Amino acid sequence: MKIMVCLKQVPHQDARLDIDSAGTWIQESNIKFEINTYDTYALEEALRAKDEGECEVVVVSIGPDRTTQALRTALGMGADRAVHIKDEEADGSDALGLAKLLAAVAKEESPDTIFTGFMSDDDNFAAVPPMLAELVGLPHTTAAVKVVRGDSSLTVDRETEGGSYEVVELPLPCLVSVQTGINQVRYASLKGIMAAKKKPLDVKSVADLGLSGSVGAGAAKVKIEKIAPPPKGDTAELLEGSTDEVVAGLVTKIKELGLL
Amino acid sequence: MGSILVVAEIQNGAIREASYELASVAQSLAGTSGREVKSLVMGSGIGALAEEFSKKGGGSVLVADDAALENYNVDAANAAVRAAVEAASADLILLSNTPSGWDVAPRLAAGLDAGFVGDCFKIDFDGGQFGFHRRVFNGKLDAHISASEGTVVATVQPGATPPFEGTTDGSTSDLSVSFEGVRAKFVETKKSDSTGVDLSKADIIVSGGRGVGAPEKFAEVIQPLADALGGAMGASRPVVDAGWLPHHYQVGSSGQVVQPKLYIAAGISGAIQHLVGMKSSNYIIAINKDPDAPIFEVANLGVVADLFDVVPALTEAVNGAKG
Repeated sequence: MKIMVCLKQVPHQDARLDIDSAGTWIQESNIKFEINTYDTYALEEALRAKDEGECEVVVVSIGPDRTTQALRTALGMGADRAVHIKDEEADGSDALGLAKLLAAVAKEESPDTIFTGFMSDDDNFAAVPPMLAELVGLPHTTAAVKVVRGDSSLTVDRETEGGSYEVVELPLPCLVSVQTGINQVRYASLKGIMAAKKKPLDVKSVADLGLSGSVGAGAAKVKIEKIAPPPKGDTAELLEGSTDEVVAGLVTKIKELGLL
Repeated sequence: MGSILVVAEIQNGAIREASYELASVAQSLAGTSGREVKSLVMGSGIGALAEEFSKKGGGSVLVADDAALENYNVDAANAAVRAAVEAASADLILLSNTPSGWDVAPRLAAGLDAGFVGDCFKIDFDGGQFGFHRRVFNGKLDAHISASEGTVVATVQPGATPPFEGTTDGSTSDLSVSFEGVRAKFVETKKSDSTGVDLSKADIIVSGGRGVGAPEKFAEVIQPLADALGGAMGASRPVVDAGWLPHHYQVGSSGQVVQPKLYIAAGISGAIQHLVGMKSSNYIIAINKDPDAPIFEVANLGVVADLFDVVPALTEAVNGAKG
């Protein structure tokens, strides 16, 4: 069995968000990066399948040099092989462009299952997984909170609203995007980290994948015109001062509300 | 010039409010962009609902009425929308960013080789092109997105727009759809075990987020304040994901939606999924170290400070005030 896991390296959750000079993204120098939270759950889901039986886990990511670190981390957690799509020609790709690159790898790999995170911590688009499924011609579902593997299908609980779930059955091969909390993500062991250095990590260019001219900024159908902090319109009245002053203010307000 | 296609969604036997919000967006854009609004209503036995929608904002409604659409199915829904896009000659397709919307819309876009923008809180038309506005970085920054010429699929954030009020000259027509390619199979719907406190009944809720830092801190810091105020403790999603608290504490779109008299959010950043769960509270107090945390946008009163300084002191003061 083979499972492909798509990973994205994103700014660390607590990174400073300073707008870049073009005004279309944040400044990426001087911040830390990590594997997108949702994708760590996707990787863990694949590694659990691997714990249970014979299974090759291939992790794939699109990004510059720094993305190698994310892939090595994934290999350290237990993935078998990594594919790094690294090419400036991919810069400025929209979700469809990214999905085309991943689809090209998926067509080469022919996995039984593709696991991805539901969305990314940075752009929160949640677009690539269903697009990837469409381009590869696989059935899919999103926001999975439970996956049960059958002989030729997956039975997936997908999260809907207000604490409800829909259960859907997908024939293999298929793609599932997972929600946070679907499992508890393991840490890479020291032994795993050492072993990761020797595991295969292949680098592919846009041309290698036969997609020259089909991805990147030139091919993108949508683009960010501008990024900015939200307008400070009706925000909260702020209580300022020492802790004692602030606490006194809060107690006064709670009394005013008739709740104390 | 193509039409604007509104993809309506039926929930509990009625067209859901989010679909009337879509109609509102579409009718407004129709005015500014000179386009026509058409809609798709899909399901099984939904003729009457389609009629109603056509008169309340949906305009010309295409009706896909088939047993294959009785329960939500991404492949069946995708097939119906594809057929509607063609029948309507739509070049802007709007869905709500609901669990169905986020499941179908990107796949639809890829199949149409179209642009896609998800979870927009606003769509406008200016200088001859559509502008899509959404948040990134979990609500911390606003992004203005443009689309190149051609078809665009967009999902709209539920609750971000007032629903359409008024009437439209509607009409309905049957849409024929082939469901040959359907592979996903609906099994059932389930509800999570609702053991534990029903937060919807609490007058006061004190919730902690990732900022609380560790599971034991909930018992040490957050619960005492809830107890002092005679309220209940709640949590944001990351706390539950990390296994620090069970799911029934979760406040948010996939947990409990609450409207207490007082909601205190400590160490919660304010991602939209959480805000959806508590923004209708009568009064909201937010405590967070980060002055740019989105929670301050819905709070009535804010404290930019370390919750470990403020919350224990507040608990003590409340207990003191009770005598």
